[in-house]
Amino acid sequence: MEPIIHAVDLVKRYPLPEDKSRKFAAVDGVSFAIFEREIYGILGPNGAGKTTTLEMLEGLNDIDGGSAVIAGIDVARDPYKVKKLIGVQLQASEYFEKLNLIELLKLFGALYSRDIDAMEMLAKVDLTEKAKARPANLSGGQKQRFSIACALVNVPRILFLDEPTTGLDPQAKRRLWDLVMELNRAGMTIVLTTHNMEEAEFLCGRIAIMDHGRIVAEDTPAKLIDQYAPEPPAAPLKGNIEDVFLALTGHALRD
Amino acid sequence: MLSKLQRHLAKDFMKIFLRDRQSIFFSLFFPVVFLSIFAFVRGGQEPIPLGVASESDSAVAGQLIQSLREDPAFVVVTGGEAELREQLIAGEQMLVLVLPADFPAVDGGGAARARLLADTSQFNQLPLVEPMLEKKLMVIERQQRGEAPMFSLEVENVQALSQSYLDFLLPGLLAMMLMQLSVAGSGYNVVEFRRKGILKRLFVTPLRPRDFVAAIVAARLGIVLIQLTVMLAFALLVLRVNIIGNLAEFYLVAIGASAVFLTIGFCVGSIAKTQQSIMAIGNIVIFPQIVLSGVFYPIDAMPALVQPLAQVLPLTFVVSGMRDIAIAGASLLEIVPSLIGMGVWFVIGFALAARMFVWKDVAA
Repeated sequence: MEPIIHAVDLVKRYPLPEDKSRKFAAVDGVSFAIFEREIYGILGPNGAGKTTTLEMLEGLNDIDGGSAVIAGIDVARDPYKVKKLIGVQLQASEYFEKLNLIELLKLFGALYSRDIDAMEMLAKVDLTEKAKARPANLSGGQKQRFSIACALVNVPRILFLDEPTTGLDPQAKRRLWDLVMELNRAGMTIVLTTHNMEEAEFLCGRIAIMDHGRIVAEDTPAKLIDQYAPEPPAAPLKGNIEDVFLALTGHALRD
Repeated sequence: MLSKLQRHLAKDFMKIFLRDRQSIFFSLFFPVVFLSIFAFVRGGQEPIPLGVASESDSAVAGQLIQSLREDPAFVVVTGGEAELREQLIAGEQMLVLVLPADFPAVDGGGAARARLLADTSQFNQLPLVEPMLEKKLMVIERQQRGEAPMFSLEVENVQALSQSYLDFLLPGLLAMMLMQLSVAGSGYNVVEFRRKGILKRLFVTPLRPRDFVAAIVAARLGIVLIQLTVMLAFALLVLRVNIIGNLAEFYLVAIGASAVFLTIGFCVGSIAKTQQSIMAIGNIVIFPQIVLSGVFYPIDAMPALVQPLAQVLPLTFVVSGMRDIAIAGASLLEIVPSLIGMGVWFVIGFALAARMFVWKDVAA
């Protein structure tokens, strides 16, 4: 089967903050293949290169080395064509604060030259009662759901979610997971980054674990646990992805 | 003109700008206050307090004092020299005219000596007042000698000009405000949108930079036109400033000016990384132009060294174009050189803006 996203040896270099003349690789030769209808998770600590990897796929960041092909289109060569196919929820995006949700959704529709039914979009993410509200008046969970609604206006084939549940309370998190599952069941390919082990284990069909700009392991959650998680001596369960993460990176989350 | 997407975006930007009540208020409040201050300081001629100490009871002295009293340029207070001198030092009088006891007796063929006391550190209108007083003395002298006035016609000509300094100033002030509103408007927006990640979110869609720039320029133009109309209405109706030329043509030049400065604002917004730096960089662009572009006084009056630079500044073309229409009644055809200058700056500004425009994160 042909992958819908194919990244080969992606590299992104930035100048070192302490010495601008030298560069370091924020993403250092990352390769993966993601298939249609998958939920693919990129798991890693802050600064591992997850967001940069996503931004290169989304055409938001120049690719310094390697290649990315999405639905047969080379991202570096034709980012505009790729942008029409994908929906993106950025890690911390804000919106024009003087527009209400309906106006914002219609604006995003216009960016794709689509006339959209804003109320229907809001209904999908359960925000119809907030139609006239401004983004600043939404709770964290509502804001993330609204971000997803904005990412859906062009009916994308692939949805990118960058740390969608960071900072959300358990209920809001759960609600967002349900939404992601629902979109995936409807046929959407979903790529998400997270540093939440539980989230990766619950949502993702396959997980890539990133550290220091490289993928250190990639498989289904169950197989990763089989392979890497040490057997807990007394406990009946095998441990979880968090153990995998610690075993592979040798450290806890860098926050 | 604008594509469907550009229109939609421009409409949304208009909404965003218009819903920002506070900044709308201040963008109108300051120019109006500014204009008013100029109107009061420059337009209303404050009479000058003038003390007259006359020890002479001659008819000529009486005639001179009478003529000073009748002149609206002065508030005459009479008194003794010592007393008035104290008032002058205390700042209650600006000038004291002393007519000695023998005034206007001519002793030894010399002219009668009237003395004018002034504190030149406090009073800077001496070069203006001196000829006024001399003229009054001359008029009396002519009457005494029975001579016909030689220059009265010329004097009347100067007074016949109905235009005030404010008429001269208004087009320059409006041009200057257009510049500030436009440069700050587009530049501030770009930095603000980028800082909040809004630009990044917009450009992860297939939006092209040119559509974004066109829409924001169109929306800002609309806003600037509203601001211009308010200022102009205030100047024409409240301050009674005169505009001789065609108002529609005046507006056309103003729209062109705003477009020039909006593109320059985009450049500034692309260079500036933070809200603080946009203020600093904006001022580097704005202030030299306010000083050098003939807003307050003609460029000819400036040092020869800076004149070549002053002649080619964008604001110079705008000010001269708007002023020619407003106070000389010029038509668009007659201000083609200014229009060409503005056109060149628009092309430069747009090319730079399109080249430098960054929607990606700029490391602060």
